[in-house]
Amino acid sequence: MKNVRIIALRRDRKRLLEHLQDSALVQIRQTENSREGFSRVDLSAQTQVFERNVALTEQALKILGDLAPEKAGLLASFKGRREIDPDEIGEIAKNSGEVISVCKQILELDKTISDNELELIKIKARLANLEVWQRLDIPLNTTSTRSTAVFIGSFPEQYNDRTLRDAIAKENPALEFESEIEHSESQLTCAVIFAPISQQTMAEDALRTLGFSRPMSPTSKVPKVKTRKLREKAKALREEIDSSQAEIISLKDRRESIKATQDYFRFRADKYDVINHLDHSKHVFVIDGYIPEEDCEALRELCERVATCTVEFSDADENAPVKLKNNAFAEPAQGILTMYAAPSRTDIDPTPLLAFFFYFFFGMMFSDAGYGILMVIATGLMIKLFKPDKKMRNNLKLFQYCGISTTVWGLVFGSIFGDAPAALYNYFVNPAEPMTMAKLLPWPTLDPQKDALTLMVISIAFGLVHILVGMGCKFWVCFKQKDYAGAFFDTGLWMLLLVGIAVLAAGMVTTPVLVTVGAVIAVACAVGLVLTQGRKKKGIIGKAIGGLASLYDITSYISDLLSYSRLLALGLTTGVMAQVFNMLATMMGVNIGGFVFLIVIFLLGHLINIGLNALGAYVHTMRLQYVEMFSKFYEGGGKEFEPFSLNSKYIKIQEEK
Amino acid sequence: MNGIFLAILGAAIATVLAGIGSAKGVGSAAQTAMGVLSEDSSMFGKMLVLTLLPGTQGLYGFIVGFLILVSSGVLNGAPEVSMAQGFAYAGASLAIGFGGLFSGIAQGKAAVSGIAMTAKDDKNFSKGMVSVTLVEIYALLSFIVSLLVVIQIPNFA
Repeated sequence: MKNVRIIALRRDRKRLLEHLQDSALVQIRQTENSREGFSRVDLSAQTQVFERNVALTEQALKILGDLAPEKAGLLASFKGRREIDPDEIGEIAKNSGEVISVCKQILELDKTISDNELELIKIKARLANLEVWQRLDIPLNTTSTRSTAVFIGSFPEQYNDRTLRDAIAKENPALEFESEIEHSESQLTCAVIFAPISQQTMAEDALRTLGFSRPMSPTSKVPKVKTRKLREKAKALREEIDSSQAEIISLKDRRESIKATQDYFRFRADKYDVINHLDHSKHVFVIDGYIPEEDCEALRELCERVATCTVEFSDADENAPVKLKNNAFAEPAQGILTMYAAPSRTDIDPTPLLAFFFYFFFGMMFSDAGYGILMVIATGLMIKLFKPDKKMRNNLKLFQYCGISTTVWGLVFGSIFGDAPAALYNYFVNPAEPMTMAKLLPWPTLDPQKDALTLMVISIAFGLVHILVGMGCKFWVCFKQKDYAGAFFDTGLWMLLLVGIAVLAAGMVTTPVLVTVGAVIAVACAVGLVLTQGRKKKGIIGKAIGGLASLYDITSYISDLLSYSRLLALGLTTGVMAQVFNMLATMMGVNIGGFVFLIVIFLLGHLINIGLNALGAYVHTMRLQYVEMFSKFYEGGGKEFEPFSLNSKYIKIQEEK
Repeated sequence: MNGIFLAILGAAIATVLAGIGSAKGVGSAAQTAMGVLSEDSSMFGKMLVLTLLPGTQGLYGFIVGFLILVSSGVLNGAPEVSMAQGFAYAGASLAIGFGGLFSGIAQGKAAVSGIAMTAKDDKNFSKGMVSVTLVEIYALLSFIVSLLVVIQIPNFA
């Protein structure tokens, strides 16, 4: 990684930045404040316009998606971004205004729909209020005629004609009135009361004591007419909703252009955001950034071609990001590494080792030739058919390599869809002596069920290798940094000690000579550790105690090693589960029903098994890398190289070849 | 008097206790995960992984149970189990039974926290996942103890 500084004339700013964005060579360093003698230009107004347009298109796409969902298969998330020709971006830019107006139209239609829906709710409430007045043939807001006072309203009691008259008469016996009940139910009576205009106040007082109240929203129309009008209005609103929806749906063909336009505005917002953070003087502007060493010449050539500028390179500072570069075998595992942390500047890039052990351990845990071949075929097909983006492609590749390893381990363990070949042979042929996988396969197999102990020893041996490789990395890192004490005493002695113990253990089952050799190595290393590990402590006693205490670390190595027994456990799980499903599938005997049962249970069972155990293998492989291996040497905490580029969601501009 | 009942009891202990552990673990993780999904359904994949992590105990218990049924001959319909072997099966099943029960519940709690952490920032996903698997080692050790014993029992007198 190198630091780069480009100083160019302001008039070339647009062209230069566009080319930098297209080429994605440089990560631009953004600082809050400008250095002395320079100032910032404020283009945040433009940036905001672009960001608003992005938000607008996002909303429009969401509305379109709700009303006219995209036909998306189950596997659509694997699909890569749409590739477009570099010339097409000009076309998109030219049409962007029109597309934005389409988006605005969609938003407006959506607003109409939601307004109308609100209005419909209100109408529904008013219709419910009018429901009780249907028999009334005068407007609801009538209060009087020339000679008569009219009271239209409700009482909070249930009355019939007689009880109502009695109740009013009881309040004021002098009152002359006529009453007519329109509607009555428990706790509610709607009625009209007529009284001579001269007695209006008297009547009001009497009615008020009975709890009379006029309707909330009286209309000047006869209730029946009003109801009809409201119904008509509701119908019109509903029609408008339908037509708006239809109109939005008719715009669904514009989805692709809306997506492209969104990306176009995203590019521009990014570019203006960068400009906001650049130092400008009257005539020139300065770009500071980072660039991978191998791209320096390409950048210089590009800059000098498109702008009047100077380009300087210098050694990277400590905040520089890291760019991982690996071959085709290791690259898929980069994602696993960055999920943990990008390497810091002092770390070595452990991706190749990580990749090898990831494939190896995954295969050992999943360990079934049938599943492995399925994985290889499925990932291969997806890469071929969907042309996924780089990240997804790498993930698929990761599982493809894991699939190969799974197949190999499956053959070693004698597992092809569990014991499917043997089980099916027994099902159809039904021999006197049941067939087993060991008899069927021409090569010697290692059956995890029968040789569990052997396999456990093998697992822990692999674990020892894995840990030693991790410690080897630590050794190398220390050595490179000239920390020789750290390399030889802290790491080297422990490595030798572990090897010594391994030799000793091997000697116990083979020859006694190895026991002696191993013991000598182990004891010598232990003595070495006691002598060296206290070296940073003060005083002879402190050193002695520090040295002795360090031997206690052996417990953490033992627990690390035991952790690899999961290689056995998960490998066994896959095989046994598969075997269980095969047994269930072939249970019903050889007949039509049994045959259908066989197919259904076989497919279903193995699908479940693949799902559960692939997840288990993935998670536990990752854990072995992160916890057991990385803890030995890997610091992480670096930042990934993120160049200034065309950062898009939907479209990908083809590289010119 | 033979040990068929004890062998079957062993298979039941292994399957049921470990299964309860996983069921509790997965259950509480799934509850939290659904809360997260109601806010952001795009997290489904990650939530699924974290939710399923405490599910392995039940699987281990089931495998031990199955192996007991196979090696005691119950599944072949011709069980030959002595009293001593029956007790051995029952004893072997205790390791994964109780190991699975408690580690499943504990792992479920860890998974709930992992889900909460991932919901805040999905960059935390891998850290959460690895932390949750730290619990698993104890289920694994129980499983291996049960397994190694069960495989050897047919050789017992």
